[in-house]
Amino acid sequence: MKFESKAVLLVLGVAVFMALGTYFTMVVPLTDESLFTPTKDAKPYTAVELKGKEVYQREGCWYCHTQQVRNLLEETQRYGMGEEETFKRFGVRALIQAPPSQPGEYVYDKPHLLGTRRVGPDLARVGGKYDNTWQFNHLRDPRSTSPGSIMPSYTWLFDKNGLPTEEAIALIAYLQKLGTNIKWREERVEQVRRLQAKTSTQENHSLAELKENN
Amino acid sequence: MTTLHEDKTARWFLYFSVVFFLVTILIGLTMAIKFVFPDFLGGIAALGFGRIRVIHTNGVLFGWLLAANMGLAYYTVPRLAGTKLFSEKLGIATLGIWVFIILAAVITFASGDTQAREYLELNWWLDVLVTIAWVMFAVNIFGTIAKRKHEQMYVSLWYIMGTIFWTAILWIVGNLPVYSGVNDANVNWWFGHNAVGLIFTPMGVAMAYYFIPKATGNPLYSHKLSIIGFWTIAFLYIWNGAHHIIFGPIPTWLQTVAILFSVSLLIPVWTVIANFFGTLRGKWSQGNYIVKFLLAGTVFYLLTCFQGPMHSLRSVNQIVSKTDWIIGHAHMAVFGAFSFFAIAGIYFALPKILKRPMYSDKLGEWHFWLSFVGFLGFAISLWIGGFIQGLQWMNYTIAFLDTVKAMFPYYLIRMFSGLFMMTAQILFAYNVYKTVQVQDSQLQTALS
Ligand code: HEC
Repeated sequence: MKFESKAVLLVLGVAVFMALGTYFTMVVPLTDESLFTPTKDAKPYTAVELKGKEVYQREGCWYCHTQQVRNLLEETQRYGMGEEETFKRFGVRALIQAPPSQPGEYVYDKPHLLGTRRVGPDLARVGGKYDNTWQFNHLRDPRSTSPGSIMPSYTWLFDKNGLPTEEAIALIAYLQKLGTNIKWREERVEQVRRLQAKTSTQENHSLAELKENN
Repeated sequence: MTTLHEDKTARWFLYFSVVFFLVTILIGLTMAIKFVFPDFLGGIAALGFGRIRVIHTNGVLFGWLLAANMGLAYYTVPRLAGTKLFSEKLGIATLGIWVFIILAAVITFASGDTQAREYLELNWWLDVLVTIAWVMFAVNIFGTIAKRKHEQMYVSLWYIMGTIFWTAILWIVGNLPVYSGVNDANVNWWFGHNAVGLIFTPMGVAMAYYFIPKATGNPLYSHKLSIIGFWTIAFLYIWNGAHHIIFGPIPTWLQTVAILFSVSLLIPVWTVIANFFGTLRGKWSQGNYIVKFLLAGTVFYLLTCFQGPMHSLRSVNQIVSKTDWIIGHAHMAVFGAFSFFAIAGIYFALPKILKRPMYSDKLGEWHFWLSFVGFLGFAISLWIGGFIQGLQWMNYTIAFLDTVKAMFPYYLIRMFSGLFMMTAQILFAYNVYKTVQVQDSQLQTALS
């Protein structure tokens, strides 16, 4: 019996192959606990944040922005904090890398918004990067904050006076939540502080030693 | 000549697809303009980038390409089976539902109604309608194959039957509302990758297998190669989804499996391509525009399926993933390869259905050259720009905004190339319209 003359045989063969690949690449991950165990700091979305996520989905922000810091040095650097930023906000000078995205940060995302395309930068760690005023200005007119940007102006999320609507407020609340399922900004700045404190006491020590020897 | 085939369903599916092709490509062009002039049509929510992008992608895939391939299946399957289509009534009903789905999709997407999972954005009630329409399509095709005159089935039939099965499973499992987090992403790309790999690839290959021998008059080069090609596609494609999330928050083993299987895809692709080239031999230079579309489609299929496995390699993925390079790649598959095959099929089938030649062969030639040159401009500009952008992203001291501005010249070329592609499809639609219209007015004079 040849599959060329038996449709049932052909479909059966096709089904077996499909089941095989699907089992290993889809069903096995679905049962992998590490993929749906929340991170220590993970919190479900509040009602407002959830509404913001819906606006984000509706407006298709995710076609231009990914939400995954890939496990690559250049990405943890780019989406971390630069020296200027850490100095202005935390009073320490350091280049702080963002942690790469982890499965446990996404457990409350339904649907997921990992995205595939970066017309604009990744937003997985954008929460806390800008204040709300910047975010509103940028959303209403991206070219006012970022000259040369090609992001659309979301004027319909603002009223006649240019004030953010409820939807815009929810959207920005959602953006500010992104990436905070790991408290990386606070934790890593704290680490740097401790490290710098340690090195400066060491420096003081060696200074004192120098003086004693003289 | 006896008129065994009524071809009513085939005809109307093809007309609809050609018209909708124009709509989707117009939206594509609008987006290309927005990349150069971001305030173009600004301030209108329904025409915002995020709202129309989904109309473009879903429209091209389901409104143009799948509709065209379904129309061509309604044409080829009865001929390969040597019998009439199982039911023209059922076919026309399927078309009715399909047209309704596509129009409803445009309206719902423009109003922001989306499930926000790539290629699965349709609302659930439209998902249900798609499922119903697909079952009706399946009944018609399998019904025709069941009463076939020849026992042995030609390779195009294997692919069409395979596609019907794959699409049904992908669609239903992919749409289940049960996934979340990174597993949702993984399922999304299990679907998304195979929408191309197990719906549009096999449908396109089925059509090429039918129309290349028909249009050139050469016999199929090798039966054995077609068997190897078919079963390796059936086995290998389904493992690839995770190559869309390399370096991302999914297990490393899953990424590695996807990479290994992606590279092994070179086997089925090169097998199929060898068979196409073998069948095309001797006809390279003497071909009309139908053969040109088939030949160019074959070359683009080869190239896009060389890029794909290479992109999955970690060292390459690091650079090109998430950049505009990938947009060039995707258009080579969907426009350069599979749309070219479908266009060739329409140019071949329509005169057979209407029993008269195309209105203008010259327009057909122009259609080919404008599509070809337009596509090359589109893809090459994005490949160069995307590659540069990828390299820039690897240096975090270059501000992201500067990497956006650096894309300007490439976006500009892409926009003008899009204009070429658009013009080409207007000629196509006009040619089809004139061919149909002449027929109808002749019929009228014959009747009066
Ligand atoms: C056409 C593509 C596009 C769309 C759609 C889009 N953006 Fe952007 N976005 C960009 C580009 C390009 C930039 C970089 C330049 C800039 O800062 O404006 C950007 C930057 C941003 C930034 C600043 C990120 C950073 O780290 O500096 C935020 C926040 C943002 N976008 C949010 C959104 C939101 C929210 C939406 C949906 C309402 C959206 N974007 C839709 C292209 C887009």
